[in-house]
Amino acid sequence: MSVIPVPARIGALWQQRIQGLQEYEVIRDGNVFGAGFSNSMVFSTEYEQARRYLETLLSRYQDTRFDAQFQGREVFNEGGTCFTLEYRQDLSHPAVDRDRFMTHLMGDMTLVHGVGPVTRRNLESRGYRSIPDLLQHPVLKNRARQVLTCLSEGKTLSIMELIGTRYPKSHATMLGTAELHEPEDFVFLDIETLGMFSRPVILFGIGVIDNGQFAVHQYLLRDIAEEQAALVETVYHLSGNRVALVTFNGKSFDLPYIIDRLAYYGMKSPVRMPHFDVLHFSRRRWKDRFSSMRLATLEREVLGVCRNDDVPGAMVPEFYETYLRSRNIGPLVPIVEHNRQDVISLARIFFYLLEESYGCQ
Amino acid sequence: MAVNDLIRLLEVNPVYRTRVVHVRSIEPKPARVGSLELPLSPSLAAYLDQMGIRLYSHQCEAINHVRAGKNVILTTSTASGKTLAFNIPVYSNLEINKDARALYLYPTKALSNDQLLSLDQMAKFTGIAVKPALYDGDTPQSKRAAIREHSRIIISNPHELHQVLSWHAKWQPFLSNLQFIVIDEAHRYRGVFGSHIAFVIRRLLRLCRHYGSDPRFVLSTATLANPREFAHHLTGQEFELVDNDGSPHGRKNFVLYNPFYDGISERSMHQETKDLLVSCVKENLQTLCFTGSRKMAELVTVWARDDVRRLSPGLADSISAYRAGFLPEERRAIERQLKGGTLKGVVSTNALELGIDVGSLDAVIISGYPGTMMSTRQQAGRAGRKGDESLAILVAQANPLDQYFMHHPDQFFDRSHEHAIVDTANPYILSGHLLCAAAELPLNEETDREFFGEPVSGFLSELASDDLLRRTSRGWVYTGRGRAAEAVRLDGVPGETFRIMCHGRLLETLDRGQAYREAHKGAIMLHQGETFVVNEMDLETHTIRVTETDVDYYTQPQKEVDLSIIETLETRTVNGIKCAYGEVDVTEQYTGYKIKRGDTIIGMEPLSLPALTFRTKAFWFIPPDSVEHKVTDAGLDLAGGLHGAEHAIIGLMPLHVMCDRWDIGGLSSPVFGETGEPVVFVYDGYEGGIGLAEKAFGILPALFTSAYELVRDCPCESGCPSCIYSPKCGNDNQPLDKEATILILGELCREPEKNGSCHPCPTGLKITAP
Repeated sequence: MSVIPVPARIGALWQQRIQGLQEYEVIRDGNVFGAGFSNSMVFSTEYEQARRYLETLLSRYQDTRFDAQFQGREVFNEGGTCFTLEYRQDLSHPAVDRDRFMTHLMGDMTLVHGVGPVTRRNLESRGYRSIPDLLQHPVLKNRARQVLTCLSEGKTLSIMELIGTRYPKSHATMLGTAELHEPEDFVFLDIETLGMFSRPVILFGIGVIDNGQFAVHQYLLRDIAEEQAALVETVYHLSGNRVALVTFNGKSFDLPYIIDRLAYYGMKSPVRMPHFDVLHFSRRRWKDRFSSMRLATLEREVLGVCRNDDVPGAMVPEFYETYLRSRNIGPLVPIVEHNRQDVISLARIFFYLLEESYGCQ
Repeated sequence: MAVNDLIRLLEVNPVYRTRVVHVRSIEPKPARVGSLELPLSPSLAAYLDQMGIRLYSHQCEAINHVRAGKNVILTTSTASGKTLAFNIPVYSNLEINKDARALYLYPTKALSNDQLLSLDQMAKFTGIAVKPALYDGDTPQSKRAAIREHSRIIISNPHELHQVLSWHAKWQPFLSNLQFIVIDEAHRYRGVFGSHIAFVIRRLLRLCRHYGSDPRFVLSTATLANPREFAHHLTGQEFELVDNDGSPHGRKNFVLYNPFYDGISERSMHQETKDLLVSCVKENLQTLCFTGSRKMAELVTVWARDDVRRLSPGLADSISAYRAGFLPEERRAIERQLKGGTLKGVVSTNALELGIDVGSLDAVIISGYPGTMMSTRQQAGRAGRKGDESLAILVAQANPLDQYFMHHPDQFFDRSHEHAIVDTANPYILSGHLLCAAAELPLNEETDREFFGEPVSGFLSELASDDLLRRTSRGWVYTGRGRAAEAVRLDGVPGETFRIMCHGRLLETLDRGQAYREAHKGAIMLHQGETFVVNEMDLETHTIRVTETDVDYYTQPQKEVDLSIIETLETRTVNGIKCAYGEVDVTEQYTGYKIKRGDTIIGMEPLSLPALTFRTKAFWFIPPDSVEHKVTDAGLDLAGGLHGAEHAIIGLMPLHVMCDRWDIGGLSSPVFGETGEPVVFVYDGYEGGIGLAEKAFGILPALFTSAYELVRDCPCESGCPSCIYSPKCGNDNQPLDKEATILILGELCREPEKNGSCHPCPTGLKITAP
């Protein structure tokens, strides 16, 4: 058989079809009903604004070179080369009081399998006050010992699992396990992608507490070919012994997305680590209080931060695509800014919640 | 014997007698058992003992091959125990190899469910830890992870597979241990759909290689002319064929029944079907009746019940329809009643032939040729319980294929089977799956060549120039803005899409060709049984606006076809007539539409739509001057003869190459192109071609002969829907000349070919002189 001839315009044909898929919906302003039903949406004024903004950016940065705008450095690793930006600022975080949280856990007899609220009341009426007390109990002593062993080992993952058998995953007690970590253990992660799964990650934002400051490391793809190296860097950040991951909706999006991209390049996923998804805790905390549970909304309502010149998250792919096509770095500017702000707000809301529920009521 | 009695009735009843064209009896055949090269494990041997099963020869042959590590394709008859032939070796392997996994692909939900039941039963009895499970669009999110982790046999369908491949990371435990891919009813994956599936399978194999597994295939299909070739095209692998059926059957009687025996018919074919059903039921034969549409299934049921009620109300209740919309419980109830004998007659649509698990019955009535010989044999195969005599009746419609069989019973019974076509060379289908593959793992031209065959670098750079791919050191990476697998639909060749909107609600999407044909301004169109009228077609925004309507007329578009030859790829001579195969550009221009009530034209409206051009594959033939002279000397119309030949050939294409007559198009002209020669073209109706014209080109003598016999033997005067009239003719079947058609087709198959360079005639047709 001969080589199959390539029909003219076949790329354009697929491009038209793929553009038609629309991964987000533009919704009439104030259509809160619609907003509630669509997973990914942009209000129409926001959309129009963003389209105009893109035009402005393209003309403003027409002659700006990448290096002139983004002062970072190149990183080399087994995945190739990538480019990283670093940003530092002060950020207050609550003091850690591990003992207090442990005492609280020790007092929660319902963590012992088989003890519900009723049994607990019965136990209390007979003088049992904490899990160590249950070591005296003829039936429950073995299970109590298992729980105490788990707690004394202090492994966050096992303790989270234990709490998970009794409380919902978004419960304050679950959040409390963060007390088992030093602030330096937390890795705040937020990624920007070319779409909803099966496409490259174009920017990895990673925040850590470093020398008393909050440092945001961003790995920005100058070209898709740099994705693998950026993934390798991200995995380094996630590989420490004590790492605890903090994300916003990262349980359903960021982490599986990264695992997916690692698999795409035939690389192993990072080992399981404690993961605090701030979206879940926020939903529980501010349910029905705000118009949406987007990070930008929480940031405005809780932290009082107001963003200027932002790109709506759902429109990041077309901004980045415009950069790829035109090599004009204009569209990258708000993406980088957007992601950095997301990482900072993520950390602030996490610490806000932690502080608030400190001692776990 | 009841079957005997009924056949006698058909032979003596004055109404039946005239319509029975042919009765063919096939002698009973005893079972042939086989032997296994390696004994089965105690648990599997005990399972067979418990079920009272002795393995037939073909089952043993298949099991031996699979256990020897071969890919196997099984083509034995309906109810010959194909399922067991692949379940045994799969279980046998899963019992020894504790990590091994298997994937079963089924085309329908009902079949998947039935298979799950038998796999479950086998797992329970043998104690082999398999945990078979379904994984499809209806599988709850909460159960998916556990199925991927723990089920060692997963039953799914090609659509689901297409979607999940990009999530391969989650499937790693399954993919890295995948030992078997079982594709049951594989003949369903032919034509455009099959060509897509061929690439889905290649993408799966590419992931298997990535995760270090190398699964074997077991395919089961209905009888095909080209099983090995088909299996090879579908999967890219080499296969052992198992086709020597060892299962027993009793005497089989097949009746060809022609309501149009006299060229006209006094009563509708559906009424005749009903009469036959009633006669069978009265004769106490359990009967399954297949009809062409759901509505007919309902009507035949109602009429038959009314007829029988006069005799006995109880008997009326023993006739039931069997519909797609039935709930699983309802289906099971009907299946139970059939097995228990309380139901005597069940009427179903052709489309349901696969979804039924009713075992075997006494008689089958097939109302209208179901389109392929393969389906006919599958449906007829439902008749015949263990060793008992059985009956199958084919009731003919007026169309060319049905009538061809009625006039040529030998062709019906003795001809070999159809060719199932899978074409991996359609650039539109290929490019879509290249995008999907690049979204699954970086695509490497060199190492991935084994999956995509030809060098595809031209495609990759073309797709990259439209920002859909990006070249990296690891290979080509997908960078499109939507999910590739979502953009690639498995049921068509991609094109521009039009959206049909009704009061702001999206009804459906059509490609441009369909939209021009069925949804032009003023068209009356059907959507899920509702009637709509098209108010506006916006070519800029690709939007069609419709409103509900209630009218008693319908519309029929008129089109002009133009064609230009881009490249002649092959030529051959058939009886001195030059035939060619190659690439062509087809331009279709819709010029207007007719408004019709019944057969009466009540109006004509012009249309101004841009011309549609697509590049595809075609075969064509150029009758020489001598033929032209014969036609004109006889005072016949050359244009009408060529047009009639085109229709007859297209009408009989499905006899040889499995396709629908709507998959192909044609053009004939007495003066074509610069040379002004007469010519007839037959082309694939899909952008890029799907291998139909190519296959037909290889078997032209057989195709020409059957078309010739069809027209020659049709009792009509000057052409009718049974021979040269085409229901899709864009020129309103004008001009047509039956005599000239016979003359031209006769010239095409005057004597057997002597030319050794041509393919041998694979159908074994006797070529007769006119």
